[in-house]
Parts: sequence; C-alpha cells; structure tokens
Amino acid sequence: MSTRPPTLRENRRYVLTRVEPAGTVIDQKELYYTISDAVTSLWGDAMAAVIMAAVVAAEEGHVIVRCRRGSEKELAIALSTVTFCRNVRLALRIIAASGTIESLRERIRAGAQNAPEGTGPGEGIFNKTPCSVLYCNGQKLDVIEKGFKNTNRLFISRDDLELP
Amino acid sequence: MKITDAAVFPYPCGDSSVRRMALEAETLGLDSLVAVDVPSGICEGIEIRSGVLLRDLPVKDVIARVRKNQDTGAVMIVNARDNGFNRAVLSLKGVHILRGIHAAEKTAFDHVTAKMAADCGVALDIDLSPLIFGRGIARQRAIHRYRDMLVFERRFEFPLTLSTGARSVLDMRATREITALCSLLGMDIPDVEKAFGGVGQVTSPPVPSVRVIP
Repeated sequence: MSTRPPTLRENRRYVLTRVEPAGTVIDQKELYYTISDAVTSLWGDAMAAVIMAAVVAAEEGHVIVRCRRGSEKELAIALSTVTFCRNVRLALRIIAASGTIESLRERIRAGAQNAPEGTGPGEGIFNKTPCSVLYCNGQKLDVIEKGFKNTNRLFISRDDLELP
Repeated sequence: MKITDAAVFPYPCGDSSVRRMALEAETLGLDSLVAVDVPSGICEGIEIRSGVLLRDLPVKDVIARVRKNQDTGAVMIVNARDNGFNRAVLSLKGVHILRGIHAAEKTAFDHVTAKMAADCGVALDIDLSPLIFGRGIARQRAIHRYRDMLVFERRFEFPLTLSTGARSVLDMRATREITALCSLLGMDIPDVEKAFGGVGQVTSPPVPSVRVIP
C-alpha cells in the first residue's frame, strides 16, 4: 500500500506521560496492551477505534502515546485509569500533548535538566524497619524494606528516613 | 477555597508516608489532604487534616466515636450502609462526610437522605477509586450511583467532596485528572471546583444568616 500524501493523512496528537514509580522498566508492547485495555474498558470498542491509542516511544521514564486529534481528552481519562502493567504497579502522569513527537522529546530533555539533583543516603531506618534507598528525587525517596520476605516498596520523604 | 482530596490513607494503611503524599499533592495541584488516622499539620505547604473513618460500626458506636472526637477538630467520615443507618448518621451532629455510597445498597440514598444531608450540612463523598481501579460492571455501577446522587445534589444542594481513597502516591491523581474523571459523572468544571472545597464548607462553622449586633 502506498503512503498517503500529507493532506490525506489522519491528524494525530501525541500525549507525553511520565511513568511512576521512577525506574520502572517499561515494555512498550505490554504498555500498549495495558493502555488499549484501559481505553476499551472505559470507552468501548467503537470509541477505542476512534481514539486509536498507540505507544510510539518509551524512553527515560516517559511514554509518548499517540491518538487521533480531538480525542486527547478521552485518552487522558483512560490513561488516568491505568494502575498496573503486567502485575507491576504504576501510574501515568500526563505532562503535555503536542502535534509532534519532537516537541515532546524537547520537553523530556528540558525536564531532565530541571530535575532536582541529589543522591539518596543509601540506607536508613523507616518506622523501625531497615530500608535500602532505591530512588531519590529531591525530597522524594523510594525505599525497599530489607529482609527475605515482605519487602515492599515504600514511598517516603527524606525527613521520614532516619540514618543508621 | 482549598482544593482538597477528602480521603487518603497514608502509612501504615498504605505504602506512602504522609509527608510523601503531601509532596505529591503539591506536584498534583492540591492544597490540602484529609489523611485518615494521621495527626493534623502542615507538610511542605500542604495542609494535612486529620480524618477519622468509621466503618462497619452500629449506630450506637458511631454516636460514641463522634462524641469522643468532637473537640479534636478531626474530619469525621462515616461509611454509608443501609438507608436507616444513613438517615441516623446524617442527623448526628459532628459527622462531616458520608462516603462509600457506590458500595452501599441501591436504596441507601434516596430523596429523604438527600434532604437530610442538605439540612444537616453533611457532605456526600465521591470516591474516585472505583472509577480508577474498577473495570466492567463495578465501574458502571459506581458511575450510575454517582450520577443518581448528583441528580439529588442538583435538587437539594447538599455539599459534595471528592476523594481518591489513595493508599499510595501512585493512586493519587492531579486536579486535571480528577476533573476529567468527574466529567464521566456529568460534572462540569464549576461543579468540580465546588466539590473540591466541600471539606472546608462542612468543617468550618456555619455563618448565621442573622447576626445580632450588640
């Protein structure tokens, strides 16, 4: 099938989302199925066909999702109902929508430059439980409980963590 | 008006500390949180209001708990049950919010309870967690219940609050996302703004319509 001329192509929009918690390994295909499931579940097959959601890029903790122009709002609502991706808890925080992928990539780069720097303390004690710091972003710390079982990921702040 | 999430459950109920939730709330555009079983305070510029959630208790125990917490300044939240229970709770002085209407039985909220809520100044909570986490019939039922409740709200004008019921920072949603989710219920932006200020409305002392000047 030959490529359509630009004037006959469908107008698309791209939605930039940040994946939380930070450091989550994203499989683009799995995330596509998750988003597709969320869109279909919320809006039904007919509307999902209109939205035509697709994950076009997953890089640096961000995901760019494509949709048809005019259906960004519906896609955004569906994205806010995404809570799991293949048994991994996550949240997609919508940052921006644009007509080009490149402008969203610039946004990712700008965000990376403005991100607060800082390294975590490595380990500490939260609520009498020894924890290892997984991720640190300014005041925000993601820690994991030490031990053989019940090692849950906890979301705390720097002030919550006591240094050993 | 403060943009308030009317119910979050920090550690140990959830996996996030209240400070971290406050940091996240700041990023998401919220001004205050009602945190269940956490003391009041201000964290990172976000007002944390202590909340007491009463669930699965008979009316007698609810009365006792409300009386006990009346002077603490905590936001009293009661989980809805059957119609009789809801009517009894709505008439109690000191109850601020009735939540969980979506999970109560079909006849739990009718025009009489709506009128009582409006007269007693008790807010009805719209818990967005069934919309976020629910799929299929559970979400459809929740949307139907909330839409039904909003019909009464337009008629009787009782206060509304919005909550995410977040047990983790991952469950919290930005104001824009909450507004978008509320559009599924037929709420427009002024309705959502009003509901965001619902906690302040029910917890602040009522201004008398007639003031006596000595």
